[in-house]
Amino acid sequence: MSNELRVDNLVTGYGKQEIVHDITVSAPPGQITCIFGPNGSGKSTVIKAIAGLLPAWSGRITLGGTEITGLPVHTMVSKGIVMMPQGGGVFPRFTVMENLRMGGYALNNKQLIEERIESLIADYPNLQRRRNTPAGSLSGGEQMMVAIARALVTDPAFVMLDEPSAGLSPALVHETMERVVGLKERGVGVIMVEQNIREALPVADSVYIFAGGKRKFAGTQEDIRDDNHLMSIYMGGT
Amino acid sequence: MDLFLQTLVNGILIGGILICLTIGFQLTFGVLHVIDFAVGGWTMLGGYTAYWLVTLAGIDPFISIFLVFALFLLIGRGLGPLIYHVRTSRYARPDLMALAFTFGIFLFMRGGALWLWSYNSRSVDSVLSGQFLSLGPVTIPLMRLSAFLLAMLFSLGLFILLYRSRFGMAVRALAQNHDHAGLMGVDVKRVSAWVYGIYTALTASAGVLIATIYSVNPSVGIRYTLFAFFVAVLAGLGSVGGVLVAGLALGLLEAYVATYIGARYSLLIVFGTLYLVLLVAPKGVLGRGI
Ligand SMILES: Nc1ncnc2c1ncn2[C@@H]1O[C@H](COP(=O)(O)OP(=O)(O)OP(=O)(O)O)[C@@H](O)[C@H]1O
Ligand SMILES: [Mg+2]
Repeated sequence: MSNELRVDNLVTGYGKQEIVHDITVSAPPGQITCIFGPNGSGKSTVIKAIAGLLPAWSGRITLGGTEITGLPVHTMVSKGIVMMPQGGGVFPRFTVMENLRMGGYALNNKQLIEERIESLIADYPNLQRRRNTPAGSLSGGEQMMVAIARALVTDPAFVMLDEPSAGLSPALVHETMERVVGLKERGVGVIMVEQNIREALPVADSVYIFAGGKRKFAGTQEDIRDDNHLMSIYMGGT
Repeated sequence: MDLFLQTLVNGILIGGILICLTIGFQLTFGVLHVIDFAVGGWTMLGGYTAYWLVTLAGIDPFISIFLVFALFLLIGRGLGPLIYHVRTSRYARPDLMALAFTFGIFLFMRGGALWLWSYNSRSVDSVLSGQFLSLGPVTIPLMRLSAFLLAMLFSLGLFILLYRSRFGMAVRALAQNHDHAGLMGVDVKRVSAWVYGIYTALTASAGVLIATIYSVNPSVGIRYTLFAFFVAVLAGLGSVGGVLVAGLALGLLEAYVATYIGARYSLLIVFGTLYLVLLVAPKGVLGRGI
């Protein structure tokens, strides 16, 4: 596929410790690619490497066939890749509006940024009302909404979400997954790391499962036959 | 009563200069998490640069301050990546490495000053020297008033930059989280280097004003490093807004001690106060970041 975001044979880690061993992932444009796996299996590490927060020790990362391995973090937005870190990564001392403006920082066009923000925020009534509230005093769910809306201001080709449902109530988890489907409907490609497989699996177009820094499974949701099958992959089967 | 009023005015005027001296230091701490021991060194070098500019080129310090600002902006911008590199190195305790590194810079500056200008105090003359403005019982040296106004202008400029520009938004984001700012497209290294440059420019400019009011010698460095630490701790480390109050507080404290107790006790009392503040309110009295 021409415009896909690909990771080929990625090896990386922290300090001298190798955490991710030879992982390959491909995310087609406009689709939802989910990465599951137990705690500490290297999910966040892989997307941090894609975003340029961590150097790749070896392997290649490409966007639409163009190599982007090793590019500095701040250049990723203009390549069309935005990452939402685990926890959302909103700026606590900035208001909701200031956070959204930060989302458009790379555009460097005040008017365009304001237009985009107004059209985005129309979909988020909760944020509408709290425009001038510092993000640090919002609930976890509201912060996540700010983070998701903020990721869209530059109109990216790909958004990487690291556990958007973490710490949310079941109703909010459901709403978050609907938002993620909303991203896909806008034509945005999504790479989503999730723990909540039950809610995330139904929206996934393709599924990867990591364990111990290795890729244990790659396929579609139909390939996962049932819970037992899933458990066996988690426990290190195939 | 007249003496009290006069001292109040003196304290406020000096306080304004201390604000300009510390505000960049606070910004550097808030953004780069570096406690720059060389802060007094930049003050001193600003003073000596103005001394050279007036003795060698005849440029009045109230004009040359803008040249000093530009010069130290570039010097700091050039040194910034090095500071950033030390601060973000993968070695254990890069915070202490950075402190030691800036201490080294400070010693280097002091040695350089001794070598270039010897131990004698140098005074920086201005056309405003010896002119006064009388307001009822209070006499205001025009030089101090102009110095105060310039210091406020520079500080105000920093606030406008921080709160009204795209660059300022990047700086404030950076002060909250480097990685998250990077993910938004902020070139963290570059912005950090400029922050260091802005800091050295502001501090050296304050140094011009201080050298013009008093004089400059190689031992002023340590004095103003201590003053900057005092203001920063009182304000709450990294708090740029708090500097406004803390700088004035130090100016007033120093002025009243000098008038009513004796100038030679000022450092003693200033640091006695600092220890009390640290005991009572270890996070600073005014708290919080940019
Ligand atoms: N900054 C870091 N420095 C050193 N080791 C780290 C760092 N971040 C993560 N690790 C280690 O790397 C491994 C993988 O971490 P990673 O965050 O990628 O896991 P994850 O799959 O995202 O887990 P979780 O579901 O808990 O978020 C873990 O063993 C973790 O301890
Ligand atoms: Mg994680």
